[in-house]
Amino acid sequence: STHLDSLDVNLRSAAEARQQWTHYEAVTRDLSLSLTEQLRLILAPTLATKMRGDFRTGKRLNIKRIIPYIASQYKRDKIWMRRSVPSKRSYQIMLAVDDSKSMGESGSGSLAMETLVMVSKSLSMLEVGQICVVGFGETVKVAHEFDAPFSSDAGPKVFQNFGFDQGRTDVTRLVKDSIELFRTARQKASGSPADLWQMQLIISDGVCNSSEHDTIRRLLREALEERIMMVFIIIDNVKEKKKGESVLDLQQATFVKGKLHMSRYLDSFPFQYYIVVGDVKELPGVLATLLRQWFAEVVDSGS
Amino acid sequence: MADSGAQSSRYGPVQVHFITNSPDIELPEGKRQLLVPTNVRRYGLSQILNSESMLDTPAPIPFDFLINGTFLRTTLEEYLTTNGLSSETTLNLQYVRSLIPPLFEASF
Ligand SMILES: [Mg+2]
Repeated sequence: STHLDSLDVNLRSAAEARQQWTHYEAVTRDLSLSLTEQLRLILAPTLATKMRGDFRTGKRLNIKRIIPYIASQYKRDKIWMRRSVPSKRSYQIMLAVDDSKSMGESGSGSLAMETLVMVSKSLSMLEVGQICVVGFGETVKVAHEFDAPFSSDAGPKVFQNFGFDQGRTDVTRLVKDSIELFRTARQKASGSPADLWQMQLIISDGVCNSSEHDTIRRLLREALEERIMMVFIIIDNVKEKKKGESVLDLQQATFVKGKLHMSRYLDSFPFQYYIVVGDVKELPGVLATLLRQWFAEVVDSGS
Repeated sequence: MADSGAQSSRYGPVQVHFITNSPDIELPEGKRQLLVPTNVRRYGLSQILNSESMLDTPAPIPFDFLINGTFLRTTLEEYLTTNGLSSETTLNLQYVRSLIPPLFEASF
């Protein structure tokens, strides 16, 4: 009977996970679509090897040039398109969800789940590459591997890994471990390594050990050198928080050589690319703006 | 340990919520939530409360702190450990004017 009981528990949690996933999927459907469209513009311009241009010879007729061509008595004859040169950019995107207790306590858990569902759905709709999901807290746990397709039952399975009950929020460990995961994934990736972009979206309430901010900064530089982009999405459920509880207002006391220092917590936040989201409705716009900025600064200037 | 607050702790900072029953020393609403290092004890917390950005008292008032009705006599870290809590939990710290003079507390 013990065997049956544990089986029952597992089945129930699987059913629960499925039910929750379906719920969040329904709630975020429109937002997912909006995010997909915005991300398509940012991630995909060079993804498809498009037919484009005005040439005298080519592979496919440019329909828009036909009327002017006839009207010009066949003089304006650059009516052909050719396959554009840019190679196929592919992505490995890791979603890292904070599974620590503070997420549950601050009421950010459900907002994080909404975010996870919305972003993972968008990315899978985009088909830009591989998706991985990890949970972090005291440890880092892979909930969905890069190799696995993000099929319809992938989401509910991912959900089963989260309980928002881990006793620490070790962001240093997360960054360290995810660099390793990215290295392994890069080795396994098919296609040209030069066209592979790796990106991590961290979904968290943003409160981590600030004495380790310097260590984290050093790791982030290491990641950047390996072309791994790390974006921190700070979930700030202001609707359920009292005044002064928002991470934007949060103050921090530290003692340096016995002397008290008061500062705004976010002022020493180590992640250069971070956004604070109080409502999932804001996410598509804000995330798109941030990624556009990153691509302008890092990718397009560097390659 | 009197060295820099957040560094030696295996916990990192903890979020505290300051409350009091004395209206004259009540913090304004937006200032009651704060991240503090877990190796502080009563004296350090008193120092924080008295500081310019908090109560901004002309002369420091010694405070005592209660968590769940019990006076804090250890560091926050020890309190968390003893009570099987983690630094992920927001601690409600009730503060009262101390009846005990702040003796020779070189550490916090
Ligand atoms: Mg946490």
